[in-house]
Amino acid sequence: MVNYLYDGSFEGLLTCIYEAYYRSEKPDRIYSSEYVQQNLLDENIQISTDPDKASKVYDSIARKISYQCLENIYHAYLSELSGIETNILNYVRLGFKKGKDVDLYLSDDRVLAVHTAAKKVTRECHLMVGLLRFKKLDNNIYYAQYKPDHNITTLISGHFVDRFSDQSWVIHDVKRNYAAVFDKKVCIFTDVSEEAIPITYGIGDDYEKLWKDYFNNICIKERINPKLQKQYMPARYWKFLIEKQL
Amino acid sequence: MELQKKLEILSAAAKYDVSCSSSGSNRKNTKGGIGNSSPAGICHSWSDDGRCISLLKILFTNYCSYDCAYCVNRLSNDIPRAAFTPQEVAALTINFYRRNYIEGLFLSSSIIRDPNYTMEQLYESVRILREEYKFNGYIHLKAIPGADFSLIEAAGRLVDRMSLNIELPSSKGLQLLAPQKSRENILKPMGYVSTKIKEAKDNRKFFKSSPNFVPAGQSTQLIIGATPDHDLKILRLSEGLYKSYGLKRVYYSAYVPVSTNPNLPAINRPPLLREHRLYQADWLLRFYGFTSSELLNEEQPNFDTQLDPKCNWALRNIHLFPVEINKADYEMLLRIPGVGVRSARKIIAARKVKQLDFDDLKKLGIVLKRARFFITCKGKYFSNIGLNETHIREALIDKSQIYSDNWEQISIFSGMLGLPTIEDKIMSLVGEL
Repeated sequence: MVNYLYDGSFEGLLTCIYEAYYRSEKPDRIYSSEYVQQNLLDENIQISTDPDKASKVYDSIARKISYQCLENIYHAYLSELSGIETNILNYVRLGFKKGKDVDLYLSDDRVLAVHTAAKKVTRECHLMVGLLRFKKLDNNIYYAQYKPDHNITTLISGHFVDRFSDQSWVIHDVKRNYAAVFDKKVCIFTDVSEEAIPITYGIGDDYEKLWKDYFNNICIKERINPKLQKQYMPARYWKFLIEKQL
Repeated sequence: MELQKKLEILSAAAKYDVSCSSSGSNRKNTKGGIGNSSPAGICHSWSDDGRCISLLKILFTNYCSYDCAYCVNRLSNDIPRAAFTPQEVAALTINFYRRNYIEGLFLSSSIIRDPNYTMEQLYESVRILREEYKFNGYIHLKAIPGADFSLIEAAGRLVDRMSLNIELPSSKGLQLLAPQKSRENILKPMGYVSTKIKEAKDNRKFFKSSPNFVPAGQSTQLIIGATPDHDLKILRLSEGLYKSYGLKRVYYSAYVPVSTNPNLPAINRPPLLREHRLYQADWLLRFYGFTSSELLNEEQPNFDTQLDPKCNWALRNIHLFPVEINKADYEMLLRIPGVGVRSARKIIAARKVKQLDFDDLKKLGIVLKRARFFITCKGKYFSNIGLNETHIREALIDKSQIYSDNWEQISIFSGMLGLPTIEDKIMSLVGEL
């Protein structure tokens, strides 16, 4: 088995797809070099990221398959599910054969795998756009922590740029130590360390208390239904929800 | 009174209003402003009863001059009362919004003093939000029946959605339980708002900059189970409202016993299943091309509790089935029990490149629990019980549901009153027991 290893970036993944067409050793699987385990039977080839090759692949997918396909690939990549890179490669291979119709092959496993992963990501995005909770810090910065299953910080930040364009905010993914920072003008993405968590974080203000009260009062006691609540709002997200903290 | 106490009282008083959707509007943020709205709507939390929280749903006040029997805020009910000021409502909304707790405001009110005064207060709250705070998030405002149309119009220019609650499905019920309200009084402003919406929409076709009016449309709410009206009557009313007033939504609210008025039914629990069936039927009206007369008729004016309305319809019209998945048009696909809008679209897309068989459907994520009895794939029928109305009905009815009420597993010991006593043992030894 031939494995391609890449640096974990989206460009790196696109470079792998490029090499899969032009190298003589065709890959069976693609792994991020962080996660790969050496194995006696496999041949591992390290692919170094090349922006030119990546943009060639990017353009030709958009031109020969569809923009939708490109979006699916990017979303699936952000899912960070194990083995997703290999699924993406197979999906792209099929895409170059079928053209823009590739997304109609809904019952094909290659298409299904990428669609399912992309769906998971967009679904979590939609949920998080609602469930993210900002805390107002002393310096008037609104700071939000969360731990999404998938790497969605880049995807959801656009929504908050539009919505909260007159306030400075930070969205901090504590699972990946990654953050989106907005200063009323531009939004930048950066790696941050645990120590970057503001000291005043965790001190609630009056509005948090009011929100908790509101949350408890809006429920109709005769209709209580915790199962339904958990179905919509999985308990793993509760840690960061003010209304669900004691 | 402290703000916290007010919020406590006025959010608890607003909870019986079901509507919380924040969809249908695509208001954009303005320069220097805050907020926008998302056309699909965003839920921000789910309360312990499983209902979504999207908007800050509060009453402006629960001081009421009306005495509607079904309502928790009625004049004769001895409960704590409170009233916000327009400034307080606006500040609360903005501060919740900035922390991403909510998608916007749902403001309703009891009738304080008279309808005009109440409507003025509501208008003022919304005006402060839009003009002073430059808030562009979602606002759902109750129009107060009996208020001057000019007030309703002014408010309509600022908000995204407006609603007037009909509450009781028949004028007779209204007379009995809410003698100060009349059907006329509710339908008139509703008609006014709907013509205004239409007007604004037509104008915007020619002038993009012409002012918006209630861009996310109108909605209303009906209480289920407080009056003896049957489902057919309720569904016909909804159908009429969708058609003649262009309503976006009719909400159904299972009556929660909040009063012991002799005119109200004595029930222990809200009729949740009935509410659920009505919502199912409501969806069938709006997205599936059904009419109320197809779902119910005079002989069967209420929904089956064991089977959903679409399954029921399919079983009554079994001669239309089975449907060939690879050939049927979109409208017919939608009529297959278990196939919804999303599934039907997927089927149409996927069959462009491939003839679908049963396994393909599974991979597409089509739920086949009900559908399998009603379809063929490439001419093959997959269910083993045959296309027979009674057999399919038996197979579809969830067994656990039938027995869920007043049913218990009989245990070997359930006939015994307690453990055998010493006397019992002696009696059994001597053969008396």
